[in-house]
This record gives sequence, structure tokens and C-alpha cells, in this order.
Amino acid sequence: MSDLSWLTLAPILTPLGFGLLLLWPSARAVRVGLSLAGAGLTLAFSLGLLAATADGTVLVGAVGGWPAPFGIVLTADRLAAWVSVLGAVSAVFAVWQAAADPDPVREKHHLLALMQFLFAGVQMSFLTGDLFNLFVAFEVMLVASYALAVLGSTREQLREGFRYIVMNLAASALLVVSCGLAYGVLGTLNMAHLAQRAAELGPNPTVTAVGVLLLIVFAAKGALFPLGFWLPGTYPALPPAVGTFFAAVLTKVGVYALLRVFTTVFNQEAAVTNTLLLGLGTVTMLYGALGAASQREWRRILSFLVVSSVGYLAFGLGLGTGEAVRASVGYFAVSVVVTTALFCVAGVAERASGSRLVRVRGMLDVLPLLAACFLLCALTVAGLPPSGGFVAKYALVRAGLAQGSLLAGLAVASALLSSLITLYAMLNVWRGFFWGQHPNWLPVYRVPRPLHAAAYAACALVAGLSLFAGPLFARADATAAELRDPARYVRGVLGDAPVVIPPAPTGEEAVK
Amino acid sequence: METLFALLIGLLIAAGVFLLLSRVIVRVVLGLSFITYGGNLAILTVAGLREDAPPLLTLKGPYVDPLPQALILTAIVIGFATTALLLTVALRAYQVAGHDDVEAFGDNLARDPEADDGLAADPEHQGPDRPDPEEPRTLVYSARSPGGGEP
Repeated sequence: MSDLSWLTLAPILTPLGFGLLLLWPSARAVRVGLSLAGAGLTLAFSLGLLAATADGTVLVGAVGGWPAPFGIVLTADRLAAWVSVLGAVSAVFAVWQAAADPDPVREKHHLLALMQFLFAGVQMSFLTGDLFNLFVAFEVMLVASYALAVLGSTREQLREGFRYIVMNLAASALLVVSCGLAYGVLGTLNMAHLAQRAAELGPNPTVTAVGVLLLIVFAAKGALFPLGFWLPGTYPALPPAVGTFFAAVLTKVGVYALLRVFTTVFNQEAAVTNTLLLGLGTVTMLYGALGAASQREWRRILSFLVVSSVGYLAFGLGLGTGEAVRASVGYFAVSVVVTTALFCVAGVAERASGSRLVRVRGMLDVLPLLAACFLLCALTVAGLPPSGGFVAKYALVRAGLAQGSLLAGLAVASALLSSLITLYAMLNVWRGFFWGQHPNWLPVYRVPRPLHAAAYAACALVAGLSLFAGPLFARADATAAELRDPARYVRGVLGDAPVVIPPAPTGEEAVK
Repeated sequence: METLFALLIGLLIAAGVFLLLSRVIVRVVLGLSFITYGGNLAILTVAGLREDAPPLLTLKGPYVDPLPQALILTAIVIGFATTALLLTVALRAYQVAGHDDVEAFGDNLARDPEADDGLAADPEHQGPDRPDPEEPRTLVYSARSPGGGEP
């Protein structure tokens, strides 16, 4: 227990509070100011968490003062603080885009407030230390995202939003059942306590079954191959600002839950879940890359790349070695930042050409700086040398080769092949949109300057990834080491003394 | 009693899945409710079923574990909220597309999203397909040289 335990609550309550303030009718300038302040403050608190956990402390905030295994606790270890910062960075960019691009119809129906609620749900999913509270956090996040997905009710949004909602509700129902089963088997829902009890029980088929159920749920949320069919349709239907945040963070929440549950909590029979993850990841990488090559609209191409990036993460996670977990944690950061940047670039490109198609030609003369930004992001997402993406993918591939099993070899081949296909897809965008002679009859529209600025700032972050890959991976290294030793997390949450559950009352001492 | 509950849960979830596979949005909503309630019963069952044991310390014991009941309560509340939201979406879909049939929306990846599929929508509640119709779009660049370039 530390004095800083309130920090675990701050990134959740800040966007929640600002979201409530934003429901109050006020001038647009005030609302935009409040949204920016909400996202900025959340980022500040997340950075505070990052600093507080840098030395390996596990911050624990007990809600209502009930201690760990009995009440709901919010915990922040290195991993949680890390992803919380990434989520907050993406949130700042999403709000920035929304502020730069007025959308009176959607804003009248509380677009900005819903975005803050979404941020609150995401931060809560990252920082919760309790399996059932994870379900509640998912629901807070998803209800906000359902509303955002259909807000504006264009025909395309309703069609895709409905698919998205039904898929996620079915997954949520399965998550509730898995929580119930986990409680039935292990008698607790606190993640640290679950880990402790599962370790005491040893390899147990029932616990493994619960783990596999959770894997299915999180694979659906994270859009792993057979369960990710809803993603490439849903994300392009969204308004650009919301799409940026959805693409960068929402699938990563599923991946974070996978990381947390299968490294910290259920790691007794890792072979079963790791094989599943490795297999699904192998297919997902290829599926995403091939899908990206098959599309001809900006954000459809990028949405398939999101699917592909989840595949890479599942691949790293499924390898199960320390080096692989380290590479996954590093790739996580690269993926969130580069997806944010690419969606910002796509927003500007769609506005400038007035079309969602990439076949416009010749925009290089009009938007040279945007072309440079796109090229940087393309190199990063394909994993070519001067970029941070190369460092991350190299680490993943090396971890795969070091692990050495047949499936790992297949996965490495799939990773390399899908990187190549991704490069092809990105070059297609380059050739279609930027290269060539601009046809005279096609107009070019003015793009608000702050929208440009958001894209450039996001790309500066992507450039920063390659410049500061060293410190980034040092941090990833420490995080992976912490994940390899779940006993530390358990001690951090539950304390050193063994947990004593008081005996059940018999009923004779009934109080009147 | 566990056997009875297991059968009941299976029945609820089977009915839910059957309804979920339907094309009509309202049936899908009903199907999801069935699945949710099947899940809730499953939580109640794994925590142990007893007829004579209240979950309240102020009543005479023996007691059952009250936590699963709290979980179910939370899940029910969240289920209500999501059902309400889904019904709102169904209503909006009906107004925009003129059907509450998922088929009315067609498939996106195969077709042009801007295409008019000839179905009658409710004229009172047209969706703002162009969220900002009077958006000032300024041309900054058109032909570089009227004679040059490709024909």
C-alpha cells in the first residue's frame, strides 16, 4: 500500500467527470476545451502512474476501503501503467481530431461526452484488478462504443454498428459465464487471488477450460481471426475522430486482457492456451494483410492492418517465452502509436480529396508533408529498417526462431509473409494516392489546419518510436520480467500475509 | 436440482442461439436476452443451490454465498441497459431502412456504400447521411495548367 494509491483511480474518474460535465449544454468552444482538458489530464495522471510504477511497485487502490480479496481493487503494475499511457495518448489525438473537425449533428447528440465515457471504460479495463470488474469495465467501454458506432445513423453505420453490437454482446454473455465458472472453481474473483489459488491447485482441467473460455471472449474483443469479422466493416463506418481511437485502442484492450490473464492469472497449463493463441495469431496476421491488399478505401485498408497487428501480438503472446513477451509489449506500443498516426493521416487524406477511395493520384504535389508522414507510417507498419516497427517485428521474429517449435516456425513464416503483403498494400496506397499526375478535373479541398497538425504530431510520435526504441525496449524488458514472475504481482496486491477467509456463519448467531 | 438447472440453462441458451441466427433485429434482441439469462442461471448454479439458505445475515441461517447473487444483479442491470440500447438501434434501423430485417442493409464489402438499394425509408426520420450538408468546402487546388497534363 502506498500513498499514491489514489493515482490508480485518477485516470478513470477524470474522463468520467469530464464526460458528465460535457452533458451540460454549453458553447462549442467550452465543450471542446473541456474535452481537451479531460483527455490531457487523463494523460497526465497516466504518466504519473508510469513514473510511480517505474521501479516495480504495484499500486493498489481499494475501492470503498475494502482490502484486496474481498473488495474491488484497482491495480497498476508496469504493464497496466504502460497501456494506460498508450490509451491516453490515443485519446488526446482522437479529441484533437474531433475538435478540429466540427460535426454539429453528432456533437448535438453528445459525441464529445460519449468519447470521454469511452476513455473512462478503457482506462478502467486497463487498471482493474478484478475479473468481474473487468466485465463491468468492458461494458462501460462497449456501451459508449455502441452509441458512438451508430451515432449519426447513416445506413452504413447502422448496418455495421448492429453487427458490432451483437457480436460484442454475445462475447460479454460468455465473459459473465466464465467469471461465474472461475468463481465456482476457485472461490474468488480478484486476479491476484485467482492466480494464487490456481497456483495452489496446480494444473487442473477445469481451470484450463475457464482459461480457454476467457481466451475466446478476449479473442472476440481483440478481433482474432475467426471472431474478427466485424472489425473491417465497423471501423471505416465511424466518423474519423472516433475511428482513430477505436482502431488504435479498442482491440488492444482485448489483447491486454489476454496478456494479463495468461501471464499473471492462469499460467498453470500454458501449453494449451499458448498453442491456441499461436495458431490463431498465425492465421490472423495473414488474414489481415491479405484483407488490406484487397481493399481500395483508406480506412478499410487500415482496419485490416489493425486485425493484422492483433495477429502479431497473439503470435508473440503464444510463443510464451520471456523474450517473446518482451517483444509483444514493445510491439503493443508501436502498434497503438502507428495506428493512431495512420488514421490521422487517413482523415486528412479523405478530407483533402473528398473521397474515401485511395485511387486519386498525384496528391504528392499538393500535400508533400502528408506524403512524407504516410511513408514513415507505412515503413513502420510494414516493419522496414529505419522505423520502430522494424525493431519490434525483428524482436518478435527472433523470439519465434529461438522458441523453435514447428508451429512457431510456421508463425514466423506467416509473420514475414504478411509483412511483405502489408508492404505491398501500403505501396498500393502510395501509388494510388500520392504518385503520378494529378488529373485536372479532380478537386482538392481545404483541410482545417488543426487536423493537419494532429496528423503531423502523431507522425512525430512514430518517428520518436524509432529514435527512442532503446528506452522503449528497456521498459518492455522490465515489464516482461515482471510478467514472468506473477508472484510479485500477487504479493503487491494481497500483501505478504496469507489471505484468511473467515468461516461461514452457521446461522445460530442470527442478528435481529 | 442441479440437473434441472443444467437442462434449463441448455434450453435457454439453445433458444437464444436459435433466435440470434434470425434476420429480424427484434428476434436477435430476444435471443441475446435468453442467452444472458441462461448465463445468469449458470452463475447461480455453480455457486451452489440450496432451497433453505438465504444470502442475508439478518435471517436465520445456514447461508448461501451472496456474492454470485450480487454478480447476477450487476449482470441483469447491464443486460437491461444493453437491451434498451439495442432496441433503440432496431427502431432507428427501421426508420432509416424501412425494415427491421438485417438483410435490408445488404453486405458492405461487396457493395458501394453510397448505393441506393431502392427500399422505402421513413421520410420523417431520414438519417443524416451527410452529417454536415452545409460544410464549407473550399477548393484550394484544381488544374495546374489548363492545357498541360494528361488528356
